[in-house]
Amino acid sequence: MAEMWINMGPQHPMTHGLWNLRIKVDGETIVDAEPEVGYLHRGIEKLCEDRTYTQIIPITDRLCYGSSLTWSHLYCLAVEDLMGVEVPPRAEYIRVAAIEMQRIASHQMWLAAYAADLGLMLGFIYSMRDREIFIDLLQALSGSRITYNFPRIGGVAHDVPPNFERDSLRACAFMEKKLDEYEDIYDGSKVFMLRNEGVGVLKKSDAMNLGVTGPPLRASGVKYDLRKDMPYSVYPEMEFEPATHGDGDCYARFRVRMDEMRESCKIIRQAVTKMPKGKTRIVAPRNAPVGTGLGRVEDPRGEGVMYVVGDGTDKPYRLKIRSPIFVTVSAAPKILVGYKVADVVAIMGGLDMCIGETDR
Amino acid sequence: MDERGKMSGKELGGQEKTSSLTDENPEESIIKALLDAFPTAVTDFKKLGKGVVRARIERRDLFKACMFMRDSQGFEHLSMISAVEYDSRFELVYHITSYQHKLFLELITTTPKEDPSVDSVSSVWGGADWQERESFDLMGIKFNNHPKLERILLPKDFTYHPLRKDFKG
Repeated sequence: MAEMWINMGPQHPMTHGLWNLRIKVDGETIVDAEPEVGYLHRGIEKLCEDRTYTQIIPITDRLCYGSSLTWSHLYCLAVEDLMGVEVPPRAEYIRVAAIEMQRIASHQMWLAAYAADLGLMLGFIYSMRDREIFIDLLQALSGSRITYNFPRIGGVAHDVPPNFERDSLRACAFMEKKLDEYEDIYDGSKVFMLRNEGVGVLKKSDAMNLGVTGPPLRASGVKYDLRKDMPYSVYPEMEFEPATHGDGDCYARFRVRMDEMRESCKIIRQAVTKMPKGKTRIVAPRNAPVGTGLGRVEDPRGEGVMYVVGDGTDKPYRLKIRSPIFVTVSAAPKILVGYKVADVVAIMGGLDMCIGETDR
Repeated sequence: MDERGKMSGKELGGQEKTSSLTDENPEESIIKALLDAFPTAVTDFKKLGKGVVRARIERRDLFKACMFMRDSQGFEHLSMISAVEYDSRFELVYHITSYQHKLFLELITTTPKEDPSVDSVSSVWGGADWQERESFDLMGIKFNNHPKLERILLPKDFTYHPLRKDFKG
Protein backbone atom coordinates (compact mmCIF):
# COMPACT_ATOMS: atom_id res chain seq x y z
CA MET A 1 0.00 0.00 0.00
CA ALA A 2 1.20 3.53 -0.74
CA GLU A 3 2.64 5.45 2.19
CA MET A 4 1.16 8.81 3.03
CA TRP A 5 1.44 11.64 5.52
CA ILE A 6 -1.49 12.38 7.85
CA ASN A 7 -1.89 15.47 10.02
CA MET A 8 -3.16 14.74 13.52
CA GLY A 9 -3.79 18.26 14.72
CA PRO A 10 -3.62 21.16 15.34
CA GLN A 11 -7.31 20.57 16.05
CA HIS A 12 -7.55 16.99 17.23
CA PRO A 13 -8.84 15.49 20.51
CA MET A 14 -5.52 13.66 20.92
CA THR A 15 -3.35 16.77 21.05
CA HIS A 16 -4.52 18.39 24.33
CA GLY A 17 -3.41 21.78 23.15
CA LEU A 18 -2.35 23.39 19.95
CA TRP A 19 0.26 21.31 18.16
CA ASN A 20 0.41 19.08 15.16
CA LEU A 21 1.61 15.52 14.85
CA ARG A 22 2.39 14.50 11.29
CA ILE A 23 2.54 10.76 10.87
CA LYS A 24 3.53 8.76 7.82
CA VAL A 25 1.45 5.62 7.56
CA ASP A 26 1.63 2.44 5.58
CA GLY A 27 -1.90 1.18 5.91
CA GLU A 28 -2.49 1.27 9.66
CA THR A 29 1.17 1.11 10.64
CA ILE A 30 3.20 4.21 11.47
CA VAL A 31 6.50 4.32 9.57
CA ASP A 32 7.58 7.85 10.41
CA ALA A 33 6.41 10.75 12.55
CA GLU A 34 7.17 14.41 12.96
CA PRO A 35 5.76 16.62 15.71
CA GLU A 36 5.27 20.29 14.88
CA VAL A 37 5.15 22.81 17.71
CA GLY A 38 5.19 26.58 17.97
CA TYR A 39 1.52 27.46 17.64
CA LEU A 40 1.49 28.91 21.16
CA HIS A 41 4.87 30.68 21.09
CA ARG A 42 4.47 33.88 23.10
CA GLY A 43 8.10 34.89 23.38
CA ILE A 44 8.22 34.61 27.16
CA GLU A 45 12.03 34.59 27.22
CA LYS A 46 12.15 37.88 25.32
CA LEU A 47 9.33 39.34 27.40
CA CYS A 48 11.23 38.60 30.61
CA GLU A 49 14.21 40.66 29.44
CA ASP A 50 12.01 43.74 29.69
CA ARG A 51 10.48 43.09 33.12
CA THR A 52 11.91 43.42 36.63
CA TYR A 53 12.71 40.27 38.58
CA THR A 54 9.53 40.51 40.66
CA GLN A 55 7.29 41.17 37.68
CA ILE A 56 8.42 37.94 36.05
CA ILE A 57 6.96 35.65 38.75
CA PRO A 58 3.36 35.87 37.42
CA ILE A 59 4.66 35.46 33.84
CA THR A 60 6.41 32.18 34.69
CA ASP A 61 3.11 30.99 36.16
CA ARG A 62 1.70 31.15 32.63
CA LEU A 63 4.22 28.61 31.35
CA CYS A 64 2.07 25.63 32.21
CA TYR A 65 -1.59 25.59 33.08
CA GLY A 66 -1.28 22.15 34.68
CA SER A 67 1.48 22.89 37.14
CA SER A 68 2.07 26.62 37.26
CA LEU A 69 3.44 26.58 40.78
CA THR A 70 6.51 24.50 39.88
CA TRP A 71 7.50 27.05 37.26
CA SER A 72 7.31 30.09 39.50
CA HIS A 73 9.12 28.07 42.16
CA LEU A 74 11.83 27.15 39.65
CA TYR A 75 12.19 30.77 38.60
CA CYS A 76 12.59 31.86 42.21
CA LEU A 77 15.23 29.14 42.76
CA ALA A 78 17.24 30.36 39.77
CA VAL A 79 17.09 34.01 40.83
CA GLU A 80 17.93 33.14 44.44
CA ASP A 81 20.97 31.28 43.13
CA LEU A 82 21.97 34.37 41.15
CA MET A 83 21.42 36.78 44.05
CA GLY A 84 22.77 34.47 46.74
CA VAL A 85 19.59 34.74 48.81
CA GLU A 86 18.93 32.23 51.61
CA VAL A 87 15.30 31.26 52.03
CA PRO A 88 13.94 30.90 55.62
CA PRO A 89 13.26 27.24 56.56
CA ARG A 90 9.55 27.74 57.12
CA ALA A 91 9.18 29.11 53.60
CA GLU A 92 11.02 26.08 52.20
CA TYR A 93 8.60 23.72 53.93
CA ILE A 94 5.59 25.67 52.68
CA ARG A 95 7.03 25.57 49.16
CA VAL A 96 7.62 21.83 49.27
CA ALA A 97 4.10 21.16 50.56
CA ALA A 98 2.64 23.41 47.88
CA ILE A 99 4.60 21.97 44.93
CA GLU A 100 3.75 18.43 45.97
CA MET A 101 0.06 19.39 46.07
CA GLN A 102 0.57 20.85 42.63
CA ARG A 103 2.20 17.62 41.49
CA ILE A 104 -0.82 15.59 42.60
CA ALA A 105 -3.20 18.04 40.96
CA SER A 106 -1.16 17.90 37.74
CA HIS A 107 -0.99 14.10 37.69
CA GLN A 108 -4.72 13.95 38.39
CA MET A 109 -5.39 16.21 35.44
CA TRP A 110 -3.17 14.01 33.30
CA LEU A 111 -5.02 10.94 34.52
CA ALA A 112 -8.38 12.53 33.73
CA ALA A 113 -7.31 13.39 30.18
CA TYR A 114 -5.66 10.01 29.68
CA ALA A 115 -8.71 8.10 30.88
CA ALA A 116 -10.98 10.11 28.58
CA ASP A 117 -8.58 9.44 25.67
CA LEU A 118 -8.79 5.72 26.25
CA GLY A 119 -12.54 5.62 26.58
CA LEU A 120 -12.99 5.63 30.34
CA MET A 121 -15.21 8.66 30.96
CA LEU A 122 -15.61 7.44 34.54
CA GLY A 123 -11.91 8.02 35.17
CA PHE A 124 -12.17 11.54 33.82
CA ILE A 125 -15.03 12.49 36.14
CA TYR A 126 -13.45 10.86 39.20
CA SER A 127 -10.04 12.46 38.71
CA MET A 128 -11.41 15.92 38.03
CA ARG A 129 -13.57 15.63 41.15
CA ASP A 130 -10.81 14.43 43.49
CA ARG A 131 -8.30 16.91 42.14
CA GLU A 132 -10.48 19.69 43.52
CA ILE A 133 -9.42 18.87 47.08
CA PHE A 134 -5.86 19.90 46.37
CA ILE A 135 -6.85 22.84 44.21
CA ASP A 136 -8.99 24.07 47.14
CA LEU A 137 -6.02 23.73 49.46
CA LEU A 138 -3.83 25.70 47.07
CA GLN A 139 -6.59 28.28 46.78
CA ALA A 140 -6.70 28.63 50.55
CA LEU A 141 -2.91 29.01 50.49
CA SER A 142 -2.46 31.43 47.64
CA GLY A 143 -5.85 32.85 46.70
CA SER A 144 -6.16 31.52 43.16
CA ARG A 145 -6.81 28.23 41.46
CA ILE A 146 -4.63 28.00 38.35
CA THR A 147 -1.94 30.67 38.30
CA TYR A 148 -0.98 31.00 41.93
CA ASN A 149 1.72 33.72 41.94
CA PHE A 150 2.72 32.38 45.35
CA PRO A 151 6.52 31.96 45.61
CA ARG A 152 8.62 35.08 46.03
CA ILE A 153 12.33 35.69 45.60
CA GLY A 154 13.46 34.91 49.15
CA GLY A 155 10.42 33.05 50.43
CA VAL A 156 6.70 32.78 49.81
CA ALA A 157 3.99 35.45 49.57
CA HIS A 158 2.46 34.79 52.99
CA ASP A 159 2.08 32.24 55.75
CA VAL A 160 -0.27 29.26 55.63
CA PRO A 161 -3.97 29.83 56.41
CA PRO A 162 -5.53 28.55 59.69
CA ASN A 163 -6.05 24.77 59.90
CA PHE A 164 -3.80 24.18 56.87
CA GLU A 165 -2.04 21.26 58.54
CA ARG A 166 -5.28 19.55 59.49
CA ASP A 167 -6.80 20.03 56.05
CA SER A 168 -3.66 18.83 54.27
CA LEU A 169 -3.52 15.65 56.34
CA ARG A 170 -7.18 14.98 55.63
CA ALA A 171 -6.64 15.58 51.92
CA CYS A 172 -3.71 13.14 51.85
CA ALA A 173 -5.71 10.44 53.61
CA PHE A 174 -8.58 11.04 51.20
CA MET A 175 -6.30 10.87 48.16
CA GLU A 176 -4.61 7.65 49.25
CA LYS A 177 -8.01 6.01 49.63
CA LYS A 178 -9.04 7.25 46.19
CA LEU A 179 -5.82 5.98 44.60
CA ASP A 180 -6.63 2.46 45.76
CA GLU A 181 -10.03 2.90 44.16
CA TYR A 182 -8.47 4.07 40.89
CA GLU A 183 -6.19 1.08 40.73
CA ASP A 184 -9.21 -1.20 40.91
CA ILE A 185 -10.93 0.79 38.17
CA TYR A 186 -7.98 0.94 35.77
CA ASP A 187 -6.37 -2.42 36.35
CA GLY A 188 -9.80 -4.03 36.20
CA SER A 189 -10.64 -2.42 32.88
CA LYS A 190 -9.92 -4.73 29.99
CA VAL A 191 -9.99 -1.89 27.44
CA PHE A 192 -7.52 0.18 29.44
CA MET A 193 -5.07 -2.69 29.86
CA LEU A 194 -5.32 -3.75 26.21
CA ARG A 195 -4.48 -0.27 25.00
CA ASN A 196 -1.64 0.19 27.50
CA GLU A 197 0.34 -2.97 27.99
CA GLY A 198 3.19 -3.39 25.54
CA VAL A 199 2.27 -0.23 23.64
CA GLY A 200 4.81 2.53 23.02
CA VAL A 201 7.88 0.81 24.40
CA LEU A 202 10.81 3.18 24.93
CA LYS A 203 14.13 1.47 25.57
CA LYS A 204 16.32 2.64 28.44
CA SER A 205 19.23 3.66 26.19
CA ASP A 206 16.93 5.64 23.87
CA ALA A 207 15.22 7.35 26.77
CA MET A 208 18.55 8.57 28.14
CA ASN A 209 20.01 9.60 24.79
CA LEU A 210 16.93 11.41 23.52
CA GLY A 211 16.69 13.59 26.60
CA VAL A 212 13.42 12.14 27.89
CA THR A 213 13.00 13.07 31.56
CA GLY A 214 10.53 12.68 34.38
CA PRO A 215 7.97 9.88 34.59
CA PRO A 216 8.67 8.52 31.06
CA LEU A 217 12.37 8.21 31.91
CA ARG A 218 11.69 6.46 35.20
CA ALA A 219 9.17 4.22 33.47
CA SER A 220 12.01 3.09 31.18
CA GLY A 221 14.01 1.87 34.14
CA VAL A 222 16.32 4.80 34.91
CA LYS A 223 16.21 5.57 38.59
CA TYR A 224 16.85 9.29 38.51
CA ASP A 225 14.74 11.81 40.36
CA LEU A 226 16.15 15.28 40.94
CA ARG A 227 14.38 15.47 44.28
CA LYS A 228 16.50 12.57 45.45
CA ASP A 229 19.65 12.66 43.35
CA MET A 230 20.33 16.39 43.18
CA PRO A 231 18.14 17.62 46.02
CA TYR A 232 17.01 21.22 46.24
CA SER A 233 14.93 23.01 48.89
CA VAL A 234 14.29 20.70 51.90
CA TYR A 235 13.90 17.45 49.99
CA PRO A 236 16.94 15.86 51.70
CA GLU A 237 14.94 15.88 54.94
CA MET A 238 11.95 14.10 53.41
CA GLU A 239 11.59 10.36 53.33
CA PHE A 240 10.28 9.05 50.04
CA GLU A 241 11.19 6.66 47.28
CA PRO A 242 11.15 7.77 43.62
CA ALA A 243 8.84 5.55 41.59
CA THR A 244 10.41 3.47 38.83
CA HIS A 245 9.26 0.74 36.50
CA GLY A 246 11.22 -1.38 34.08
CA ASP A 247 8.91 -2.02 31.14
CA GLY A 248 8.99 1.35 29.40
CA ASP A 249 5.52 1.00 27.90
CA CYS A 250 2.41 3.12 28.40
CA TYR A 251 1.32 1.06 31.36
CA ALA A 252 4.68 1.64 33.07
CA ARG A 253 4.24 5.41 32.66
CA PHE A 254 0.77 5.14 34.18
CA ARG A 255 2.15 3.12 37.10
CA VAL A 256 5.00 5.56 37.75
CA ARG A 257 2.62 8.48 37.97
CA MET A 258 0.23 6.60 40.24
CA ASP A 259 3.09 5.71 42.58
CA GLU A 260 4.38 9.27 42.47
CA MET A 261 1.05 10.54 43.76
CA ARG A 262 1.35 8.25 46.78
CA GLU A 263 4.89 9.45 47.43
CA SER A 264 3.70 13.05 47.12
CA CYS A 265 1.10 12.37 49.81
CA LYS A 266 3.93 11.14 52.05
CA ILE A 267 5.98 14.25 51.38
CA ILE A 268 3.08 16.62 52.05
CA ARG A 269 2.39 14.86 55.34
CA GLN A 270 6.02 15.25 56.44
CA ALA A 271 6.26 18.83 55.24
CA VAL A 272 3.18 20.11 57.06
CA THR A 273 3.97 18.32 60.32
CA LYS A 274 7.70 19.14 60.42
CA MET A 275 7.17 22.78 59.44
CA PRO A 276 9.25 24.97 61.81
CA LYS A 277 8.11 28.33 63.16
CA GLY A 278 9.64 31.52 61.86
CA LYS A 279 9.68 34.01 59.03
CA THR A 280 8.24 33.10 55.65
CA ARG A 281 10.07 35.67 53.58
CA ILE A 282 13.15 37.81 53.57
CA VAL A 283 13.59 40.97 51.55
CA ALA A 284 15.58 40.21 48.44
CA PRO A 285 17.72 42.87 46.76
CA ARG A 286 16.13 44.70 43.87
CA ASN A 287 19.15 44.43 41.59
CA ALA A 288 20.90 41.19 40.81
CA PRO A 289 24.71 41.04 40.60
CA VAL A 290 26.60 40.36 37.37
CA GLY A 291 26.72 36.60 36.95
CA THR A 292 24.61 33.56 36.25
CA GLY A 293 22.12 31.58 38.26
CA LEU A 294 20.73 28.12 37.72
CA GLY A 295 17.59 26.43 39.00
CA ARG A 296 16.76 22.81 38.43
CA VAL A 297 13.63 21.01 39.62
CA GLU A 298 11.69 17.84 39.05
CA ASP A 299 8.59 19.15 37.36
CA PRO A 300 5.58 16.76 37.17
CA ARG A 301 6.54 16.34 33.49
CA GLY A 302 10.29 16.05 33.80
CA GLU A 303 13.38 18.09 34.36
CA GLY A 304 12.77 21.84 34.41
CA VAL A 305 15.83 24.08 34.25
CA MET A 306 16.17 27.85 34.23
CA TYR A 307 19.38 29.69 33.48
CA VAL A 308 19.36 33.36 34.32
CA VAL A 309 22.06 35.90 33.46
CA GLY A 310 22.20 39.06 35.55
CA ASP A 311 23.90 42.29 34.48
CA GLY A 312 23.67 44.36 37.67
CA THR A 313 20.31 45.96 36.88
CA ASP A 314 16.84 45.06 38.11
CA LYS A 315 16.02 43.15 34.90
CA PRO A 316 17.51 39.82 33.80
CA TYR A 317 19.87 40.04 30.84
CA ARG A 318 18.76 36.64 29.62
CA LEU A 319 16.43 33.98 30.95
CA LYS A 320 16.56 30.56 29.35
CA ILE A 321 13.84 28.06 30.14
CA ARG A 322 14.26 24.35 29.61
CA SER A 323 10.91 22.75 29.05
CA PRO A 324 10.80 19.00 29.71
CA ILE A 325 8.02 18.33 27.22
CA PHE A 326 9.74 20.22 24.41
CA VAL A 327 12.55 17.65 24.50
CA THR A 328 10.37 14.65 25.33
CA VAL A 329 8.08 15.25 22.35
CA SER A 330 11.09 15.33 20.04
CA ALA A 331 11.55 11.68 20.98
CA ALA A 332 7.99 10.87 19.86
CA PRO A 333 9.00 9.44 16.44
CA LYS A 334 11.23 6.89 18.16
CA ILE A 335 8.32 5.70 20.32
CA LEU A 336 5.63 5.82 17.64
CA VAL A 337 7.26 4.01 14.73
CA GLY A 338 6.00 0.45 14.35
CA TYR A 339 2.71 0.92 16.20
CA LYS A 340 -0.77 1.40 14.76
CA VAL A 341 -2.57 4.71 14.27
CA ALA A 342 -4.96 3.82 17.09
CA ASP A 343 -2.01 3.62 19.51
CA VAL A 344 -1.02 7.24 18.91
CA VAL A 345 -3.62 8.42 21.40
CA ALA A 346 -2.29 6.19 24.18
CA ILE A 347 1.37 6.93 23.44
CA MET A 348 1.11 10.70 23.17
CA GLY A 349 -1.35 10.81 26.07
CA GLY A 350 1.15 8.92 28.20
CA LEU A 351 3.78 11.63 27.69
CA ASP A 352 1.54 14.28 29.31
CA MET A 353 1.84 17.13 26.83
CA CYS A 354 1.62 20.71 28.03
CA ILE A 355 1.85 23.20 25.19
CA GLY A 356 2.30 26.31 27.32
CA GLU A 357 5.78 25.28 28.42
CA THR A 358 6.68 23.58 25.14
CA ASP A 359 6.27 26.70 23.05
CA ARG A 360 7.02 29.30 25.75
CA MET B 1 43.55 31.56 27.07
CA ASP B 2 46.43 29.07 27.04
CA GLU B 3 48.06 30.71 30.04
CA ARG B 4 44.84 30.52 31.99
CA GLY B 5 44.51 26.88 31.05
CA LYS B 6 47.99 26.10 32.30
CA MET B 7 47.42 28.00 35.50
CA SER B 8 44.24 26.23 36.37
CA GLY B 9 45.96 22.97 35.49
CA LYS B 10 48.76 23.67 37.97
CA GLU B 11 46.35 24.67 40.68
CA LEU B 12 44.36 21.58 40.07
CA GLY B 13 47.45 19.36 40.09
CA GLY B 14 48.32 20.73 43.51
CA GLN B 15 44.84 19.97 44.80
CA GLU B 16 45.00 16.53 43.31
CA LYS B 17 48.14 15.61 45.21
CA THR B 18 46.78 16.75 48.55
CA SER B 19 43.54 14.84 48.16
CA SER B 20 44.19 11.41 46.71
CA LEU B 21 40.62 10.20 47.24
CA THR B 22 39.24 11.07 43.84
CA ASP B 23 36.14 8.94 44.39
CA GLU B 24 35.12 11.20 47.21
CA ASN B 25 35.73 14.22 45.00
CA PRO B 26 33.84 13.37 41.83
CA GLU B 27 33.91 17.02 40.76
CA GLU B 28 37.70 17.05 40.75
CA SER B 29 38.01 13.77 38.92
CA ILE B 30 35.77 15.14 36.16
CA ILE B 31 37.92 18.25 35.89
CA LYS B 32 41.07 16.13 35.80
CA ALA B 33 39.69 13.85 33.11
CA LEU B 34 38.68 16.79 30.93
CA LEU B 35 42.04 18.45 31.43
CA ASP B 36 43.97 15.30 30.59
CA ALA B 37 42.03 14.80 27.37
CA PHE B 38 42.00 18.45 26.24
CA PRO B 39 44.95 20.17 27.91
CA THR B 40 44.84 23.41 25.93
CA ALA B 41 41.19 23.80 25.08
CA VAL B 42 39.65 23.64 28.54
CA THR B 43 39.93 26.60 30.91
CA ASP B 44 38.33 28.34 33.84
CA PHE B 45 37.08 25.61 36.13
CA LYS B 46 34.80 26.19 39.01
CA LYS B 47 32.96 23.93 41.39
CA LEU B 48 29.55 25.54 41.72
CA GLY B 49 28.06 23.23 44.29
CA LYS B 50 27.79 19.60 45.25
CA GLY B 51 28.14 17.65 42.03
CA VAL B 52 28.03 20.77 39.83
CA VAL B 53 31.07 21.84 37.79
CA ARG B 54 31.61 24.64 35.30
CA ALA B 55 34.24 24.65 32.57
CA ARG B 56 34.97 26.66 29.44
CA ILE B 57 36.04 25.05 26.22
CA GLU B 58 37.26 26.24 22.81
CA ARG B 59 34.59 25.76 20.19
CA ARG B 60 36.83 23.73 17.85
CA ASP B 61 37.03 20.98 20.50
CA LEU B 62 33.43 21.09 21.65
CA PHE B 63 32.20 18.11 19.65
CA LYS B 64 35.15 15.92 20.64
CA ALA B 65 34.76 16.92 24.27
CA CYS B 66 31.05 16.05 24.24
CA MET B 67 31.82 12.68 22.66
CA PHE B 68 34.46 12.12 25.34
CA MET B 69 32.11 13.09 28.15
CA ARG B 70 29.44 10.72 26.92
CA ASP B 71 31.61 7.71 26.12
CA SER B 72 34.24 7.68 28.85
CA GLN B 73 32.76 9.81 31.63
CA GLY B 74 29.18 8.52 31.62
CA PHE B 75 27.31 11.74 30.83
CA GLU B 76 24.23 10.24 29.19
CA HIS B 77 21.92 13.20 29.15
CA LEU B 78 22.06 16.69 27.70
CA SER B 79 19.81 18.84 29.84
CA MET B 80 19.85 22.17 28.11
CA ILE B 81 21.55 24.31 25.48
CA SER B 82 21.33 28.04 26.14
CA ALA B 83 22.54 30.69 23.74
CA VAL B 84 23.39 34.05 25.31
CA GLU B 85 24.33 37.17 23.37
CA TYR B 86 26.96 39.49 24.81
CA ASP B 87 28.39 42.69 23.36
CA SER B 88 31.18 41.06 21.38
CA ARG B 89 30.37 37.36 21.38
CA PHE B 90 27.76 34.62 21.67
CA GLU B 91 28.04 32.12 24.47
CA LEU B 92 26.60 28.65 24.23
CA VAL B 93 26.04 26.95 27.54
CA TYR B 94 25.65 23.17 27.58
CA HIS B 95 24.27 21.63 30.73
CA ILE B 96 25.13 17.94 30.80
CA THR B 97 23.97 15.35 33.33
CA SER B 98 25.44 12.04 34.40
CA TYR B 99 22.72 9.74 35.68
CA GLN B 100 25.14 7.14 37.06
CA HIS B 101 27.53 9.53 38.85
CA LYS B 102 24.87 12.15 39.78
CA LEU B 103 26.97 14.92 38.29
CA PHE B 104 26.05 18.07 36.43
CA LEU B 105 28.49 19.83 34.13
CA GLU B 106 28.14 23.33 32.72
CA LEU B 107 30.23 23.54 29.55
CA ILE B 108 30.55 27.01 28.05
CA THR B 109 31.84 27.80 24.59
CA THR B 110 32.15 31.11 22.79
CA THR B 111 31.58 32.06 19.17
CA PRO B 112 32.41 35.43 17.57
CA LYS B 113 29.63 37.77 16.43
CA GLU B 114 30.65 37.59 12.76
CA ASP B 115 30.49 33.80 12.61
CA PRO B 116 27.98 32.43 15.11
CA SER B 117 28.47 28.75 14.38
CA VAL B 118 29.41 25.65 16.32
CA ASP B 119 29.50 21.91 15.67
CA SER B 120 26.21 20.17 16.29
CA VAL B 121 26.13 17.62 19.10
CA SER B 122 22.85 16.06 17.99
CA SER B 123 24.71 12.92 16.91
CA VAL B 124 26.09 12.62 20.46
CA TRP B 125 22.81 13.21 22.26
CA GLY B 126 19.58 12.90 20.30
CA GLY B 127 17.97 15.31 22.76
CA ALA B 128 20.15 18.10 21.36
CA ASP B 129 18.36 18.06 18.01
CA TRP B 130 15.39 20.26 18.85
CA GLN B 131 17.28 22.38 21.33
CA GLU B 132 19.79 23.33 18.65
CA ARG B 133 16.96 24.14 16.29
CA GLU B 134 15.51 26.38 18.96
CA SER B 135 18.82 28.22 19.40
CA PHE B 136 19.03 28.63 15.64
CA ASP B 137 15.47 29.88 15.46
CA LEU B 138 15.57 32.40 18.29
CA MET B 139 19.24 33.40 18.40
CA GLY B 140 20.55 32.63 14.92
CA ILE B 141 23.38 30.26 15.87
CA LYS B 142 24.37 27.91 13.05
CA PHE B 143 25.04 24.31 14.01
CA ASN B 144 27.34 22.54 11.57
CA ASN B 145 26.30 19.03 10.51
CA HIS B 146 22.84 19.32 12.04
CA PRO B 147 20.43 16.92 10.25
CA LYS B 148 17.62 19.45 9.88
CA LEU B 149 18.43 23.00 10.86
CA GLU B 150 15.08 24.73 10.40
CA ARG B 151 12.96 27.11 12.42
CA ILE B 152 10.93 25.30 15.04
CA LEU B 153 8.90 27.73 17.13
CA LEU B 154 8.48 30.56 14.62
CA PRO B 155 6.99 30.39 11.11
CA LYS B 156 9.35 29.28 8.35
CA ASP B 157 9.19 32.64 6.55
CA PHE B 158 10.13 34.69 9.62
CA THR B 159 13.23 36.77 8.90
CA TYR B 160 14.51 37.76 12.36
CA HIS B 161 16.12 36.04 15.32
CA PRO B 162 14.06 37.62 18.09
CA LEU B 163 16.23 36.87 21.13
CA ARG B 164 19.07 38.98 19.74
CA LYS B 165 19.45 42.30 21.50
CA ASP B 166 19.10 44.34 18.31
CA PHE B 167 15.60 42.94 17.72
CA LYS B 168 13.04 45.28 19.21
CA GLY B 169 9.58 43.75 19.21
